[in-house]
Amino acid sequence: MAHQANQRPLSFYLLSSLMAALLVFLYAPMVCVYILSFQGPDGGMSFPMVGWSTHWFEVLFRGTGGQGMGDVPGSFRRSMRLAAFVSVLSMVIAVSAGMAYRRSFPGANFVFYSAITSMVLPGIFVGFGIALTFNLLGWQINWFSSGIGAQLTWSLPFGLLIMFIVLGRFNPAYEEAATDLGANASQRFRMVILPIILPGVIGIFVSSITSSYEESARTQLNVGLGNTMPMEVTGLLTGSSTPVLFAIGTMTTLVMFVFILGAVALMGSMARRRAARPDS
Amino acid sequence: MKISPRAASWLQVAPMATVFVTMVLVPLCIIFAVSFLDYDFARVFPEIYLASWSDALGSRLTLDLYLTVGRFLIITWVITAFVGFWLAYFLVFHVRSSAIRLTLLAAAAIPFWTPGPIRMVSWVPLLGREGLVNKALMSLGVIDTPLTWLLYSDFAVVLAYINLLTLAMLGPITHSMAKIPRSLIQAAQDQGASEWQIIREIIVPLAKPGIAIGTIFIVTAVLGDFFIVKIMSGGQTNTPANAIATELAAFQYPPAAAKSVMLLVIVVALVALLLRFVDIRKELRD
Amino acid sequence: MQLKKRDAPEMTPEIPSDEPRLRQVTKGHRFDVELVALTKAYNAKTLAVDAISLRIPRASYCCLLGPSGCGKTTTLRMLAGHETVTDGAIRIHDEEITHRAPIDRGTSMMFQDYALFPHLTALENVAFSLKVRQVPRKEREAQAREYLELVQMDHLANRLPNQLSGGQQQRVALARSLITRPKVLLLDEPLSALDPFLRTRMRAELKRIQKELGITFVHVTHSQEEALALSDVMVVMNDAKIMQAAPAREIFETPANAFVARFIGGHNVIGRDGKTISVRADRCRIGTGPGLNSIAGEVTMVEYHGPFVQVSVCGEGNTDLTAMMSDAAYFEESPRIGSKVALSWEPAVEHVLGPEAVAFLAK
Repeated sequence: MAHQANQRPLSFYLLSSLMAALLVFLYAPMVCVYILSFQGPDGGMSFPMVGWSTHWFEVLFRGTGGQGMGDVPGSFRRSMRLAAFVSVLSMVIAVSAGMAYRRSFPGANFVFYSAITSMVLPGIFVGFGIALTFNLLGWQINWFSSGIGAQLTWSLPFGLLIMFIVLGRFNPAYEEAATDLGANASQRFRMVILPIILPGVIGIFVSSITSSYEESARTQLNVGLGNTMPMEVTGLLTGSSTPVLFAIGTMTTLVMFVFILGAVALMGSMARRRAARPDS
Repeated sequence: MKISPRAASWLQVAPMATVFVTMVLVPLCIIFAVSFLDYDFARVFPEIYLASWSDALGSRLTLDLYLTVGRFLIITWVITAFVGFWLAYFLVFHVRSSAIRLTLLAAAAIPFWTPGPIRMVSWVPLLGREGLVNKALMSLGVIDTPLTWLLYSDFAVVLAYINLLTLAMLGPITHSMAKIPRSLIQAAQDQGASEWQIIREIIVPLAKPGIAIGTIFIVTAVLGDFFIVKIMSGGQTNTPANAIATELAAFQYPPAAAKSVMLLVIVVALVALLLRFVDIRKELRD
Repeated sequence: MQLKKRDAPEMTPEIPSDEPRLRQVTKGHRFDVELVALTKAYNAKTLAVDAISLRIPRASYCCLLGPSGCGKTTTLRMLAGHETVTDGAIRIHDEEITHRAPIDRGTSMMFQDYALFPHLTALENVAFSLKVRQVPRKEREAQAREYLELVQMDHLANRLPNQLSGGQQQRVALARSLITRPKVLLLDEPLSALDPFLRTRMRAELKRIQKELGITFVHVTHSQEEALALSDVMVVMNDAKIMQAAPAREIFETPANAFVARFIGGHNVIGRDGKTISVRADRCRIGTGPGLNSIAGEVTMVEYHGPFVQVSVCGEGNTDLTAMMSDAAYFEESPRIGSKVALSWEPAVEHVLGPEAVAFLAK
């Protein structure tokens, strides 16, 4: 049997088709959303398109959706405010905890398994528990206390895992070398550790923003007055059945797209600067 | 000021420990305590009342809820594990350029930038009565009347789970497989192993940690989900998490607490079982 | 104050102009490094380093040699202050530094994989120790350049570590260690990551720099050849203990015990009249002669090395013996594999091994 080195086996073509099928399966609904958000003013939530317009975006921005159309810009602002606090806090807390795990210390397993527990517990359970605790203690739930706390239970475990990845690849000799050269603890962190792990730290920031922005099971009982974006959209699902939902989908995807591309570009430029500095 | 390394570690980990203790562990204990208390339509009384537990443990309804979610879980796991494994294999061992591999993975992730609730609505124009699938099937003459089970059905629930969770399986398995040295595969080829034998004897065993982590994602996502099942079944199908959400909405905290504790025990037991197959910290380090 | 002196290079005395500019002037002390019953225990049962004592004279090139797990790297890391000392003491320039912080010991370590900071250029890496002491930019860059010149890397000063080859990275790491003006430079298997050709070149370079600076280098290696080529003082370790510490030639000519003789290579260890002796393989030949001691055996392998030929013989009692013969001598006899021969040597070249050998052979 002649066997050419470069000839792909049959399995390659079968699996390529499976990959293509998965991508179609993932993209088909999304593409429908993006297209239908440009539905004409008289069109509905299904095809065919009744003309093309930006009508539903205008409805979204003017807040003139009529009945069932809540406060989308307001909830977007609230979500962003929450995400900003949660991501900065997650970054600081996770980096600090990650540094602790470079040594073994009593209680390391306790905190690690708490993080795993926090990650695998049903969100509704955690959200309920926090609300109940605040309730029994007579504290008012509020976005900046119970709200941020609830979201941290979701973002921090991922932050810690990212730190494990980052510091697992961090050669301890860098720090020993810095010690050898006379750097004190804060100099070691600022001048050696942080610059080397910075891409991972940005990774924690991005993952925290997206998880905060998407989270609703833990958040909804704890955020206090005013909806966050996912809660608002969920409300709209039952209240409204116009393509304005699709307009929200397109807009939020765009926001995410810009944000994530920005973060990736930032990390990429850091990596490039590290890889190619010109000769003197 | 000089502090010992141990104290330094404690200080560094303290903020995270505080969050987990106050926001996860204390609430967990409180939920457990509340599940034993009496209640009426508006309040919880500080009196012992065990009916929440006897209801949760003893009723036929609970069993049905768990049977439903168990069925969802098994179907979702089988399909996502199958697709995830083979696509990971494809990405790691068939795709030769790492740029293409990364592009394909990123391409699979991009649809998830659209928020969850919108992704659920996105099925309407595809699977609805007037949706593209029904239209296509009717114009092909396969069916005369629109299929109604495409949307707002158990089928739709499982479809949404698979749509959401295939990537959660694909990612970890790809990570595990990417760590398998190429020389192992070449060595096996030199020994005369076929592609199928290589997969069975080398790749599957070495990809186990990835499969275990992916399975943890699937188990926790499906058992904890109350939103997708509600939207995609059109409110017709209930799962344990869904039942808790309903009771919470009605302020029936003690029975919700009892059911929560039950769900928690099941999730934690499953995850603990899965963690026997993988050392997460080791997996992350190398 | 010890720290002050070391940390302020501008305060070191003027160097006579005929001396190399970076040469360090040291005050009168006897030994650069002294280890006194130095011990490292990881737990009650495992001793990584077992009460070793060692004195390294001034301005020596000292190699710690031994198989992996013998405790040589742990010893080096204790010297550097990266590993705590369980018991015993370390003195550098007659000063006790056992429990001092790495920066206050007068040591500097060059790491096995160099540990160059990946986000800093060669120049910034070398200037790092000055930067943490807040030396102004101009001054620290000027000094760093001087050290890069010493290792002939000044032309690549602005490259990042991953744009440098292994050998270049090593030179930068060396400069970075030296700029702290250590009394003792510690090198952890510095040549193991290099290809054989570069290894020989860097070896010569290390020796040149050590001589030029006039400080002590402590160099951990598992290569006998490297240790023999470099050492003023050679320390052979095994099982957490020092087997022998002596000048390289002394170790090769008079190994203290069977372990050293075997580990250093090129020796036959033979039990004879209740004693254990070693005979250098290059003093052995195939065939007998008048007045020679010999042992009968069978040729198991013949390796041609160019100037000499190595003949392996399985002698009485299953001992592995080797004769290194000049090619001329070999081709005169040309023993074949499997032929019965006698391996012989002059009685005068026999060297009686120490008691450690008995224990070693008994194992």
